[in-house]
Amino acid sequence: MGLRSFGRLWRFDRGLLLAYGLVALFLLTFVVGPLVRVALEPTLADWRLVMTTPRWQRAALNTLITLSLSTVSSLLLGTVYAYAVTRARVPGARFFGVVPLFLLLTPPFVAGLAFILLLGRRGLLTYQLLGLETSIYGLHGLWLAQTLSFFPVAYLVLRSAFLAVDPGLEQAARGLGAGRGQVLRTVTLPLVTPGLLAAALFISIGVLGDFGNPMLVGGRFQVLATAVYTQLTGWASFGTSAALGLVLLVPAVVLFGAQQWVQAATRQRFATVGGRSSSLPAPTVAPWLRWALFTVCLLVTLFVAASQGVVLMGALTKLWGVDFTPTFEHAKYVLGHVGGLGNSLRFAATAALVCTVLSLLAAYLVQRAKVPLRRGLDLATLLPAAIPGTLMGVAFVLAFNTPPFQLTGTAAIIVIGMAVSYLPVGYRICAAAIDQLRPSLDESAANLGASRLRALTSIVAPLVRQALVATFVFCFVQSVGTLSTVIFLVSFDTPLASVTILNLADQGRWGRAAALASALIIVTMLSLALLYLITGRSLKQLEFSRAGG
Amino acid sequence: MPAVEGAAHVELTGLHKAFGATTAVADFSLSVPRGSFTTLLGPSGCGKTTVLRIVAGFVEPDAGSVVIAGVDQVGRPPNLRGVGLVFQDYALFPHMNVRANVGYGLRMRRMGKAERVERVQRALELLGLDALGRRFPHELSGGQQQRVALGRVIVLEPEVLLMDEPLSNLDAKLRLRLRAELKELQRQLGITTIYVTHDQEEALSLSDQVVVMDHGRGQQVGAPEAVYQRPTNRFVAEFVGQANLLPVQAVSTTTNGSVTATAVGQPLVVCLPDERQPATGSAGLAMVRPEHVLVGPADTFAAPGAWQVKAKVVSSGFYGAFQRYWLALEGVPEPWLVDLPLDLAEYVASGSTAPTWQPGAAVAVGLRPGGACWLW
Repeated sequence: MGLRSFGRLWRFDRGLLLAYGLVALFLLTFVVGPLVRVALEPTLADWRLVMTTPRWQRAALNTLITLSLSTVSSLLLGTVYAYAVTRARVPGARFFGVVPLFLLLTPPFVAGLAFILLLGRRGLLTYQLLGLETSIYGLHGLWLAQTLSFFPVAYLVLRSAFLAVDPGLEQAARGLGAGRGQVLRTVTLPLVTPGLLAAALFISIGVLGDFGNPMLVGGRFQVLATAVYTQLTGWASFGTSAALGLVLLVPAVVLFGAQQWVQAATRQRFATVGGRSSSLPAPTVAPWLRWALFTVCLLVTLFVAASQGVVLMGALTKLWGVDFTPTFEHAKYVLGHVGGLGNSLRFAATAALVCTVLSLLAAYLVQRAKVPLRRGLDLATLLPAAIPGTLMGVAFVLAFNTPPFQLTGTAAIIVIGMAVSYLPVGYRICAAAIDQLRPSLDESAANLGASRLRALTSIVAPLVRQALVATFVFCFVQSVGTLSTVIFLVSFDTPLASVTILNLADQGRWGRAAALASALIIVTMLSLALLYLITGRSLKQLEFSRAGG
Repeated sequence: MPAVEGAAHVELTGLHKAFGATTAVADFSLSVPRGSFTTLLGPSGCGKTTVLRIVAGFVEPDAGSVVIAGVDQVGRPPNLRGVGLVFQDYALFPHMNVRANVGYGLRMRRMGKAERVERVQRALELLGLDALGRRFPHELSGGQQQRVALGRVIVLEPEVLLMDEPLSNLDAKLRLRLRAELKELQRQLGITTIYVTHDQEEALSLSDQVVVMDHGRGQQVGAPEAVYQRPTNRFVAEFVGQANLLPVQAVSTTTNGSVTATAVGQPLVVCLPDERQPATGSAGLAMVRPEHVLVGPADTFAAPGAWQVKAKVVSSGFYGAFQRYWLALEGVPEPWLVDLPLDLAEYVASGSTAPTWQPGAAVAVGLRPGGACWLW
């Protein structure tokens, strides 16, 4: 069956076969291949060493601790925040709804950096204002920083989950005599359970692979992600770093499997039965709860504003914590080191382009083109979602530092590393958009004589352009701020702003780090504004250019 | 009779298709003459759309062949088949205006711009769309969208035109008008057409040939009149129109395609739908269309010797054009349905029309000659 289908594709639709081959080759080379390579790297001795060394046992335990704490707290904060914005209709809900998105648009390590500037040994709040001699470094700081870094993910997922709950169901429960709390417990929360699980998976994989925050505020509290890095860069010990990275994979795979299983088991039960959802407003929440939720939103927003503000302030301050004289000294440093900044933007944009094209192709191949082995294609595309970025980094280093694929240190491998990391999300976005398209649209294109590839380019792609822009933006923004995969791949010739910021912070050069971080945020925002300007215009042009008949 | 004679243009043989455990199409064969209008008629889930999609190439049959103009199409992808399909939801490309939609297929064939523009223009004029060329699909009415969907296909001059319930998304009045236009256009272009619908009236009024389908199988193939007046089985009888059922027993066959039978203890001539002859003495079921039923007062009604049974009015209802009665016939298990015209003179005189018979009234029921038809 499989072979015959390939034969048909070869005879009738070579364009599609080429696209299929391209996607499959990419996934085999840059997803499956490196993972196999890294899995085969550690020797038995490496495994024994990893298992018996107390330092690494401690790191594994620490990873489990942060994983549980940060996942739960991010999930909780994100859910509460999403509930406040979508259901409780707190005052200023529209404004509060944008705050976490803003946080998503800034590199995640900015939170860590801001924490040091605000709450560190010489922190503005702790030392300067309160005169405390506390230390943010350690588990509590890491926990706080990760919560702030990852709650926007939970917020995004739960926001759409809450919005998908038909308010009519909540009204019906109220009508049947349920109290407000009972409605929440018996109707609303059960219906958003799939969303909660999905968010939990995203966050836990993120926490497992998180590199920036443990590096900046972890202090002596070492987790596996940082251990992998020091083993590889400090000791050049491939075997142990690969083994440590693979240990990370255990909880990731367990979580991934659990999520898939629960999702399959609950899909039927949570599919909303019946016709059109009502346009009723959701029932109101109790006033005290509304104000409590408002306070949460306000505190989060203030903290976000403070963290962004303090980074900007740090950029313009002579020596943080010692000499608060305003200065442009750090800004000048940034101007002298625009290379990393330029690389970050260029690589991220290229990666976003690659990721968008691959996501669209993979989604179309799996969902519409009825190609053989599409289940395998689907899994391979989703696979990076279960791989902590740190492990991916080690895998890339191992797979591509020897011929025939000697790519370490090149721009290409950094771009590919970025694209692979965000492919699962882009793929999901595109697949969801294609799923929304009526199948008759590309069928009619085929009926009118279009090959599958032309149906994709002339009908499907223009119709899912919003998803394409979303994929591009997501991949771009995340790539600009990413550390965990790329920190293994950068070289002297290919510096990245995010890595440079981390190194500067590590050396205690807060001013320069803050200045570069501010510049990165500003340039990212400007590029996004530019992108919307361009796509907004070109999408209109696209419509009119086809008007010629 | 319209152009049913002539060479078979589309020949479907032994088509079979199962989706998992459900059989969508089973042992389906059909010969579509060149230039004819053939309709696949059946309830939803009967497999008619699957047959159409097999012809269009969106579904590969498990067995059987699709031969168009002498060329076997099985295994060929949809874009190389040269058949035009009008989708139920029209599937107009929302990001292209009318001209671009109609010109899309020509562009896929890499036709030069000058010729393309000209052919699009001709198609638009043919369908009365030339003023709407720059509009986008969402700016068109349902009827206009339907015409664009049709124009987009016929501009390519396909071998075969396939239509999947193209009128089902339109309101009743518009449907009637477009039905007439469609028939006229098809006749004018002489294009071989396979049309899918669940609307029996549409099938009867449009087609040269009707194929009634159920459970993936063809139940009867014939001219609209034959399918309506001489259905071969109970399913066809009930699906194509209203059918009153009458238990009969064959007595002796005659040569002119009918059988003498007894029904409710009286002799009755029952027409046979095809060549098959019921065995003498075999029990069966005959069908009577409502318009072939005669109703009269209980005593003085039918001619002496004619078939006649006593009946009671069960209920009746006003349907605008007629009064509908449900009658319980003595010795007939299922009630019959009869539509009778209303007395206009009475309405003119008194401003209201009382039904001729009230529920409970005793009446007599007879049949027009040839009104009963044997069901296999």
